[in-house]
Amino acid sequence: MSPTNVEEMYDAVIVGAGAAGLSAALGFYRSEEVKELINQGIEPKVLVVSKLQPLRSHTGSAEGGIAASLGNMESDEWQWHYYDTVKGGDWLVDQDAAKLLAQEAPATVIDLEHDGVAFSRTDDGKIAQRRFGGHTMQFGKAPVKRAAYAADRIGHQILFALWQQCVAYGVQFAEEWYVTDVVLNDERTTCEGVVAYDIASGVTRPLAARNVMLATGGAGRLFHTTSNSHDLTGDGMALALQAGLQLEDSEFVQFHPTGLAHTGILLSEASRAEGAVLRNADGEAFMARYAPEHKDLAARDVVSRAIRSEIMAGRGIADPKDPQGAKDCVWLDMTAIPTERMNTALPQVVETIKQYAGLDPSVDLVPVKPTAHYTMGGVPINTQGEVYRLDEQGDVVPVEGLYAAGECSCVSVHGANRLGGNSLLDACLFGTRAGRSLADRFADAPVAAAEMEGETFETPAALDRAASRRVSIINEVLSPADSPEETSEERSESDDNAYTLIADLGTFMEAHAAVVTDDALLGEAIAGLRNELVPRSQTLHAHSDAKVFNQEVTAILEARHLCELALAMLEATRARHESRGALYRTDFPKRDDSAYLKHSFVSLNGDVQWKPVQITDIEPGARAY
Amino acid sequence: MSSHSSVHATVTLRVHRFTPRPARERKHSSSPFGKRASSPFGGNSNRVRGKQWVQEYRLLVHPEDTLLDCLLTIKRDIDPTLAFRYSCGHGICGSDAVAVNGTPTLLCSAQVGQWVQRLPDVDYHDDEGFRKTGDVDADDDANALEKDTEQAIAEGDDLGVIEIAALPGFPVKRDLIADIDPMLEQIRKLKPYLIHDGALGTKADGRIDVFEYLQNPEQLAKYELLSNCIACGVCEGACPVYAGGEAFVGPAALINQARFINDSRDTATQERLDALDTADGIQACQSVRACSRECPRGIDVGEEIWQLIAQVKER
Repeated sequence: MSPTNVEEMYDAVIVGAGAAGLSAALGFYRSEEVKELINQGIEPKVLVVSKLQPLRSHTGSAEGGIAASLGNMESDEWQWHYYDTVKGGDWLVDQDAAKLLAQEAPATVIDLEHDGVAFSRTDDGKIAQRRFGGHTMQFGKAPVKRAAYAADRIGHQILFALWQQCVAYGVQFAEEWYVTDVVLNDERTTCEGVVAYDIASGVTRPLAARNVMLATGGAGRLFHTTSNSHDLTGDGMALALQAGLQLEDSEFVQFHPTGLAHTGILLSEASRAEGAVLRNADGEAFMARYAPEHKDLAARDVVSRAIRSEIMAGRGIADPKDPQGAKDCVWLDMTAIPTERMNTALPQVVETIKQYAGLDPSVDLVPVKPTAHYTMGGVPINTQGEVYRLDEQGDVVPVEGLYAAGECSCVSVHGANRLGGNSLLDACLFGTRAGRSLADRFADAPVAAAEMEGETFETPAALDRAASRRVSIINEVLSPADSPEETSEERSESDDNAYTLIADLGTFMEAHAAVVTDDALLGEAIAGLRNELVPRSQTLHAHSDAKVFNQEVTAILEARHLCELALAMLEATRARHESRGALYRTDFPKRDDSAYLKHSFVSLNGDVQWKPVQITDIEPGARAY
Repeated sequence: MSSHSSVHATVTLRVHRFTPRPARERKHSSSPFGKRASSPFGGNSNRVRGKQWVQEYRLLVHPEDTLLDCLLTIKRDIDPTLAFRYSCGHGICGSDAVAVNGTPTLLCSAQVGQWVQRLPDVDYHDDEGFRKTGDVDADDDANALEKDTEQAIAEGDDLGVIEIAALPGFPVKRDLIADIDPMLEQIRKLKPYLIHDGALGTKADGRIDVFEYLQNPEQLAKYELLSNCIACGVCEGACPVYAGGEAFVGPAALINQARFINDSRDTATQERLDALDTADGIQACQSVRACSRECPRGIDVGEEIWQLIAQVKER
């Protein structure tokens, strides 16, 4: 669905319609200021722009749960959740943000329940909770049931409930519009709007806005084996880099230990929470050796590295679909889970294994492999959702009118490694907070009130320039494709295209920077990107010049985004001479708090600056599980 | 589920393609005879004109590959212009509903071995040029076909043909991309959100006892499956009333309403049942139950609508 007319000026444009974007829209419309202004007849002009129809967003794939110390199953305190989050993040967590996350989590989950989420229930009708890796009681003493769940479909439930509530509030969407530029003023202190490409019509439009919020999700497609949908191409992060902003802690990418062999499709951590264990080629339940206390429910990076070690030691197994292939998987043994419990608590996991591996987890062992899952880093924001950058002196410079939330952002609650159940929480909670910030800004100066006083709006010059530049880029992408489509089969034989490039990039990144890396690999990766992949991305063109749903145009822009983002991430990785959380460098295998208890801030040209971590309550300690 | 085969075989995908004609820059010089007369058959005047053709792609596959795997291979290695929606690749986002051999289903859940059709060696038209229709031997034929496919898989040779077209019942925008906005609009019009008075459980002294709206597992079980609907449109494409072009609200919107009607937390049941009881609402359902066949979430759509019809009548 597209808006019938485009406003000359928006109060807010929200980019992305997953948990963070939809939560922001609801946070906006539910705020007291907005309600009151609407009562006075001042309608906000808000547009949610998304490259997908909102119900297709990747939030829908989240399976396991959303963490909150509701204490519905056993006693739990927000302070414990706070501690677990900081420890799980290997102390690279800003503690003011993590404290908010833990404190406001129960209210966030209750709001979702009121929005209609079909949570699984206890016998007395409360929201049911399950164990999840790294979530403990009494500061690490024992596992705790903290993840509120809806069978293993929590993401689908949350996405649909949020969209449904947005329908109730009449939120306006521009669906299948791809944002190509975030436009700032020349001083990079104020956001002027965005440029969007309407995929259905092929028309490029400037959208002038007093406030813009980025909620575009992660960048799993940087890697070949990923749990992420095909659309997770790091757009928001790349847009920020292109606008002259930085990314915070982008070197931290979480590899979920249990991707379904070579498909990368996620098998929820809930499977291990329900009793599944990992086994090597010898049948040994090897996690007991790596994490004697928490075993298979140790933090994700610990488990992923353990799997990797087993494989390197020759105790891996081949994907049964490719029996002659590399022995780069291990077994997930779910046979100890009673079949009935498996079907009620893990229906999605069971279905995925049956459908995509042709195996029956109640009797068969299931091949799994670490899969790129989550980007801990992203566009730097404060706890109000406001985007900022560091200037040359390392001082914080806020960007007026630019906000972000969810996986594309970094408020730094996840630090160097995110705990399961904290991503949906982050997206919903900080999405809502960003929406409230947008509401404050709207209440200060509503566009409709200015229009009533006769003010008219001209497209800001910077936005106009960006839109013209984008039109010429897209025309260039379309121009060489002048031959009719029937011949495309012959033409493409020797010809590069965006889909091939994204596949090549994924394989390349996986070989150099997945789970474990070192300086030599990083140097090779940076050279390969600079000398081959980035130049290839710049010369891509579409093979049809038809404008309607020309998916190649967006794929080319996505490929360019991925390449730019990959380079920045690799530079940030190379600059951090330590191992912490999800980042493991064989040349610097130890955590180094004296030098790197700091967030990295990388810019498009690869420069890296540093900002100290906020430590208010919990002093750094060992991260043992 | 068949066991894995590392044997490659070939398959031919016959894809129905469409590219709309570019919108005209200038207006047509107006005809002196006024507007062109509309078709006496009442054809849709909004129909987009363009080029339609069927393109065949021959691929090396594993029988357990999904059709989405195949189309992504085509995009990468053969023809990057082929347009189709896809996102998660494992049946949860609902983007990739199409018609496979005429049956609506998801590209990412349809496997080659399951859908491939062996072309009969003999001419399947009779002397008068009519195609044979079902006869007493139909079952035998089907068995023979299945056997052929298994043998072909084992021998690693040509499996046959799979035909793929855009989801029926919706205007085609390009290739396999259909405009499903009509379905979403129908869902949106019926208040597709939880309606609750906001009252919370309280203790004897009037203080709030619990913050969630209480719901026991039995109450959850009444609508949990319905809430798994991913709005892919497969049921709509299968419905002869909906896809046949009638002004029917459609199975997807009805399932969405049933989800709330059966949710113990929702307080608008009567209002919802009233809204459904119209000529183009639930009354238009002919209980064909084609909607149940391919639901990727395993919802027995036809049965659920039948239950809803009973609820509407009994109110």
